[in-house]
Amino acid sequence: MPNIALPAAFARQVRTARELVDEQRRTPEETRLATASTGFDRLLEGGLERGSMVELIGRRSSGRFSLVLATLAAVTRTGEAAALVDLGDALDPQAAAAAGVDLERLLWVRPRHLKGVLASAEVILTSGIPLVVLDTGMPPVPGGRGKEASWLRLARSARAHRTALLISSPYRMSGTAARAVLEARSSRPTWAGQGRSPRLLRGVAADLELIKSPKPRRQGETETLNWRLAEDLQGDDRASTSQQTVSRQTAIPPTVEGTYADEHRNVIRFKERAIA
Amino acid sequence: MPSEPTDSPPRIACLLTPLFPLAARLRSEPELIQEPLAILAGNGHAARVVAATRLARRAGIRPGFTLSQARARLPKLIARPCDAECEYAAQEALLDVAESFSPRVEDGGEGMAYLDACGLERHYPGESPDEELARSLMLAVEKRAGLPIRVGIAASKLAARVAASQPHSPTLVPAGEESAFLAPLPLAQLTPQAKTLATLTSWGISSLGELANLPKDEIVSRLGPAGQQLHSIARGIDTEPLMPRHPPPIFREGMELEWPLVNLEPFVFVARAALERITQRMQVRGLACERLRLSLGLEPDGHHERSITLPAPTRDIKTLLTLLRLDLEANPPNAPIITFTLDAHPDKPREAQLSLFGPTALSPDKLATTVARLFSMLGDGRVGSPRTVDAHRPERFALEPYAPPPPPKERQKTPPGRGLLTVRVLRPALEVEVITRGGQAPRYDPQDTLNTAIDEVAEPITEYASPRSDERPISIKTLVTDETTKKPRIDGSVRVASGPWGLEEDWWSSDRLERDYWDVELASGGLYRLYRDRQNGDWFVDGIYD
Repeated sequence: MPNIALPAAFARQVRTARELVDEQRRTPEETRLATASTGFDRLLEGGLERGSMVELIGRRSSGRFSLVLATLAAVTRTGEAAALVDLGDALDPQAAAAAGVDLERLLWVRPRHLKGVLASAEVILTSGIPLVVLDTGMPPVPGGRGKEASWLRLARSARAHRTALLISSPYRMSGTAARAVLEARSSRPTWAGQGRSPRLLRGVAADLELIKSPKPRRQGETETLNWRLAEDLQGDDRASTSQQTVSRQTAIPPTVEGTYADEHRNVIRFKERAIA
Repeated sequence: MPSEPTDSPPRIACLLTPLFPLAARLRSEPELIQEPLAILAGNGHAARVVAATRLARRAGIRPGFTLSQARARLPKLIARPCDAECEYAAQEALLDVAESFSPRVEDGGEGMAYLDACGLERHYPGESPDEELARSLMLAVEKRAGLPIRVGIAASKLAARVAASQPHSPTLVPAGEESAFLAPLPLAQLTPQAKTLATLTSWGISSLGELANLPKDEIVSRLGPAGQQLHSIARGIDTEPLMPRHPPPIFREGMELEWPLVNLEPFVFVARAALERITQRMQVRGLACERLRLSLGLEPDGHHERSITLPAPTRDIKTLLTLLRLDLEANPPNAPIITFTLDAHPDKPREAQLSLFGPTALSPDKLATTVARLFSMLGDGRVGSPRTVDAHRPERFALEPYAPPPPPKERQKTPPGRGLLTVRVLRPALEVEVITRGGQAPRYDPQDTLNTAIDEVAEPITEYASPRSDERPISIKTLVTDETTKKPRIDGSVRVASGPWGLEEDWWSSDRLERDYWDVELASGGLYRLYRDRQNGDWFVDGIYD
């Protein structure tokens, strides 16, 4: 920009339109879509990255679909559009609305076959919708795993259109195409009531493990997500506190943590002595 | 439209398509351009050649030849009849392009259009604005309508038409020189009645200039109103002003096929070309297709009509073609196709303003195309925006066309998550066999890993008094049918069961609903929502807590 004639102090503050756009694109809001699920966001370093494919796998009742709806809710409530390609035809609009999804901003596509899922996703990615979620339902998935080339093509298309692509599947399907893979496992239902009294389902606690990451040293990191039934909640304020995401590291009681820290320091001292 | 000074001379451009029946046919079948082709008018032995391609003309084929005479000269001659649909579509395409230059366009018929060129010179600030305009018109019509035209510009329609019919195009007649331009032309250029022409010839008048030099009153007294009209035209004065047309509300393309089509594939191939031409014409006017109507003429005299309403206006050919194909597959014609017409009902494409500080708005045009393509791929009822329905049945929902509201002007902060456990719905509900307390006890099988799991891991089944029923599920097994083999299998002993919760709806009608719902956790893992139909006692799993 020809700002030579401007006073130096002023010129430093002047930006070209391109610089402004670039700066804006570097902001966290522009590079990542927060999912409002603290543990999920922490594992993904802030949320789903625009232009990348993330795969979320999990068996029955692992909280996978709840996480999908929570992500859709977080994105649509900020005013962005989102698409759900729902192979298992599993969405209950009432549950989605209760989870906070803005249904007007949600495009719901219900193919009958995995081939239709891949083709639909490829079409949706060109529309500019910032979040596309592919849910392949429960096994048996009609169409198997699909060709790896198709997943790679989807990943490339997502990158080209700066769309966050979340694959939710019962097992790994996208091969090497996904930038990050997380597994929801070890679900533990929690019930109200003991002994001979009637039981009431309160929710599910599930561990979410990062099994593939662009940063290999982060692989294996785990977060615990707690999902509760709607009947337990009274309004948004209470609802927001009901999701208690607890990291395994932070879950260690203070006394234990202290012991662990002391032991860790001792190990380091021991290693230092050995080297000396 | 800016008002013009009243004293500015009129400028009229005439767009003329030479050999129009041939040009219209080649527009629909461009692959015949390099072939010896003749267009014939009339039926059977009375059919006469009206136009032919250069290759055919070189072989000596002239207008007026019968097909036999033409084939005698050139056995490989391709013959096509005059096609009214092709000519109508070509004429409309020509007028569409003309209307993209000026709002005042008159339909001259037969590949001709008159255009009011007053004021257009401002767009062409070069040395010769008229010539630049004429060349732009020729280029635009060639490119967008697929027609080779000649252009003439003059102060009157006749002078412009005569100028356009000159072999070297464009021909420009300077203002005030119309009489001089027309003077040497033969009388036949006016296309007078044969009797009038014979009278004028007997007077020794052979050119327009000679007619124009005669006193008007004398001509009128001898030839009447027809003579007056001819005299005015010969002097370069239009007897009728330029009469702008109203553009038709639909875009039509069609064709008479060379032979009857029995299969869908060749028809789709022909329809694709027609759709390409329609979308090109709509693009010229900045419109998109909202509804497509297909009329098929069937052999021998049948008729088949289909109408396809698009979820959103689009110009995407692939989408339109796929929808057309799907519709014809579902509703095929019952006889071979001999003619077809495609009517596209236009609508304005959706538009949106871009946001500076908020989330990026979706391009309505792109979104419309996306939705239409998804619609064509997956069919009706598979694409849309979900809506809740005011009813108790969990399986009820509504689907509406996807039209997201515009994003907020400023980016919103992500609200905290609600952390709700949701149900993955099974549609339709999976029928299961459930053993309840009081019924048959689950059989212990040491090979069954589920039962082993109960012994090793799970707590014993907790017994409790149900609040409304003493029959509670203790074991579930999926009924094996052809349908359920494609569904998730749900088998095992129940570890914890919670329920029942009654659900009653429409109890006053025949379609009443009476269900007892249960939440169950299986010993092998998995949380399910199942219900018992009170009317017949059948059990179903309608959702998995996930």
